[in-house]
Amino acid sequence: MSNFLFGRYLPGNSWVHQMSPQSKLMLSFYFVIVIFFANNLASYAALAVLIAIVILLSGVSILFFLKGIRPLVWLIIFTVALQILFSAGGTVLWKWGPFSVTNLSLINGGFIFIRFLLIIMISTVLTLTTTPLAIADGVQTVLKPLKKVKFPVDTLALMLSIALRFVPTLMDEMETILNAQRSRGVDFGSGSLKHRVQAAVPLLVPLFTGAINHAENLSTAMEARGFSDSEHRSKYRIYRWQLKDTVSWLVFLLVGGLVLYLRK
Amino acid sequence: MDKAISFEQVTHTYQANTPYAQNALADVSLVIPNNSFTAIIGHTGSGKSTLVQHINALLKPTKGSVQVLGRVITPATTNKNLKAFRQHVGMVFQFPEKQLFEETVIKDIMFGPKNYGVSDADAQQAAKSAMKLVGLDQSLAEKSPFDLSGGQMRRVAIAGVLAMKPEILILDEPTAGLDPRGHKEIMDLAQQLHDEDQMTIILVTHQMDDVVNYASQVVVMDEGKIVKTGTAAEIFTDPGWVYKMQLNLPSSAEFAQKLVDAGVPVGKLPLTIDQLATKISQLVAEGADTDE
Amino acid sequence: MKDIIQVKNISFNYADQPLLFDNLSLNVHEGEWLALIGQNGSGKSTLARLIDGLNVLKQGQIIVDGLFVNDENILDVRNKIGMVFQNPEDQFVGATVEDDVAFGLENRQVDRKQMHHIVESSLKNVNMWDFRDRIPANLSGGQKQRVAIAGIVALSPQIIILDEATSMLDPRGRQDILNLVREIKAKNHLTVISITHDIDEAAGADRVVVINHGKKIDEDVPDKIFSNTEQLAQIGLDAPYTSQLIAALKRKGVNLNQQYLDSERLIAWIKQLVSNK
Repeated sequence: MSNFLFGRYLPGNSWVHQMSPQSKLMLSFYFVIVIFFANNLASYAALAVLIAIVILLSGVSILFFLKGIRPLVWLIIFTVALQILFSAGGTVLWKWGPFSVTNLSLINGGFIFIRFLLIIMISTVLTLTTTPLAIADGVQTVLKPLKKVKFPVDTLALMLSIALRFVPTLMDEMETILNAQRSRGVDFGSGSLKHRVQAAVPLLVPLFTGAINHAENLSTAMEARGFSDSEHRSKYRIYRWQLKDTVSWLVFLLVGGLVLYLRK
Repeated sequence: MDKAISFEQVTHTYQANTPYAQNALADVSLVIPNNSFTAIIGHTGSGKSTLVQHINALLKPTKGSVQVLGRVITPATTNKNLKAFRQHVGMVFQFPEKQLFEETVIKDIMFGPKNYGVSDADAQQAAKSAMKLVGLDQSLAEKSPFDLSGGQMRRVAIAGVLAMKPEILILDEPTAGLDPRGHKEIMDLAQQLHDEDQMTIILVTHQMDDVVNYASQVVVMDEGKIVKTGTAAEIFTDPGWVYKMQLNLPSSAEFAQKLVDAGVPVGKLPLTIDQLATKISQLVAEGADTDE
Repeated sequence: MKDIIQVKNISFNYADQPLLFDNLSLNVHEGEWLALIGQNGSGKSTLARLIDGLNVLKQGQIIVDGLFVNDENILDVRNKIGMVFQNPEDQFVGATVEDDVAFGLENRQVDRKQMHHIVESSLKNVNMWDFRDRIPANLSGGQKQRVAIAGIVALSPQIIILDEATSMLDPRGRQDILNLVREIKAKNHLTVISITHDIDEAAGADRVVVINHGKKIDEDVPDKIFSNTEQLAQIGLDAPYTSQLIAALKRKGVNLNQQYLDSERLIAWIKQLVSNK
């Protein structure tokens, strides 16, 4: 748990840290789309090299980065294994009851694995180098056009920013509640499935009660500070598009073209 | 057994081998005698909470070993064996009312004992006597804990720990946010558990007056290390040092220090209001003598 | 002296609960530090919320600097009042220190350039400018309360209400915050209402109002309020430290004719007693 990197922010001042959040956000979306165009080893290799460069430019050690996403890798391996076992077509290599492994399903499984891995990597880089606040702001900027159709973009961004701001608070609280119930003899994470589900109640009830309390107090405090509606507020922060963003986009577009060229 | 707890060169590092690594305890050795009342003080972030969580096996040492009631815990101890440690060590966390979850007060208090395999009937018995101990009226037993006042919820949570009949009770800032009456009641309860039920009490606190009034042994922490142990009188002799540790003096010592600053020769700083009053009355009598 | 807040014959109860205030009246003088003391549950925090329009009155009127507290005036009233709440965590809206101070300014649609100036000077005012990039998780309770105060200073209100703002802090943090508010009060000529059950905090006030079960049972200068130690004990509050010392001295045969003196005067009295007798 403590080495887990997904969704965390690591302070820094690297190339990627300095890019504007809206551009990082869009670039990540773009990258995910490109991933789905790749369909052979060469095109995946191009993307893998690109993501390796991005990780290097984010100032995080690759080894630490890989360790940090390991828990998710297990999840993907599990998903991919199911995919391999249940898909048909191609030469059958191994068969047992409803399960079979074919050469095609192995290759497909491998690609799915790489796809997932690339997606996790790009989103981890995004959160590692972008504060939650900046992500919320990025979303707000990206969605701005939707304001024309009366979509409450600013409300959404404010909600997102507050939700993200409370993640560490709630994590701390979860830790304390876990400990408090542990010292009252609860065994989390062992025993049968039924037992585990039961053990979650003494964790979840206090956690939700606490969250609701925070929400109530917070809304009072916001009101007291003159908050009435989120669509009529000025903005303290703006993130400007920078040269680094332009350069990054050019490189990503180039690699995108390369993937289209390399794919079968 | 005359020692309830001993720490031998315990180091604890949070998130070891990551950029987030933090040394929270550094080479801590400590003995807490059986049936003592130990206060652990130190400014916020000095390592107090990390220290006490080892007593309850909520944390394992990164280096060194901890012995609690004859059981030893080392970095190699497997997580499976930890539950046995906790059975005899009750821990009241800061704002313990946050851990309540059951539909009724009695069920919540019975939760701990039942987890350790106590029968329903016995757990109920234990819960009822715990309610009495913390001063909760039996009529509240079937109420939802969430309908009670903040002070009452705190008592339910404490009762939930006491119902497990621990031999060691850890109290982490048990009176935070309570009004003066609630504060005194909780502290008196701790004293009663110590005096009458022979519990070993460990109190983590910022209230120096409580340290003076209740604790027999004081442990001062700073930057993950134990920097001093002794009686309250030994700890508070040097005001300069106490302030350097970012701690306060007990009210009477603080007031006496103000008297000293104003030129009243109080001498050794008194810790309690009675000591200070005695000292002043002596000075008044002497002053009268020398003047004649 | 002008009454900056007038609470006139108010009644209030929470849904499904008995009447908390029944015909309560209270005035706050401009420029004073008023301490509202009482046990947990006495209604003192509710009163603060009513003054800021966070709860809605059933009966009676509250007037803040000439404005009735009602739907129409609510934003103007809140421009005049800054509130610091009990839980440091639950009033930190922004993702970082800077953003949190800016929150109130954004709500009032202050121009960005001006906003940056105000945030900087407000944070410097509370000595938190060096922490401007920090996220709340990396701040102590006392530091969070400092940020909350910076957020208030940024809006330059006339009144600060401390709603048990120090009760979750350690003694050092508590002293620290009170000193800070005192400093800001003096500099900006503010009125301060501090809601507390910490008697020593109340002892520093200009005037004290004692609330018990929703009723104002006393209202006077600290000297008078704290001289009545029986009354304090009856409603579950401590006597101030100096009163306790005076009582202890009396038991040792050193008699002072008063039940309460602030520490400065008590020290002077003891000094005189010891040296001049």
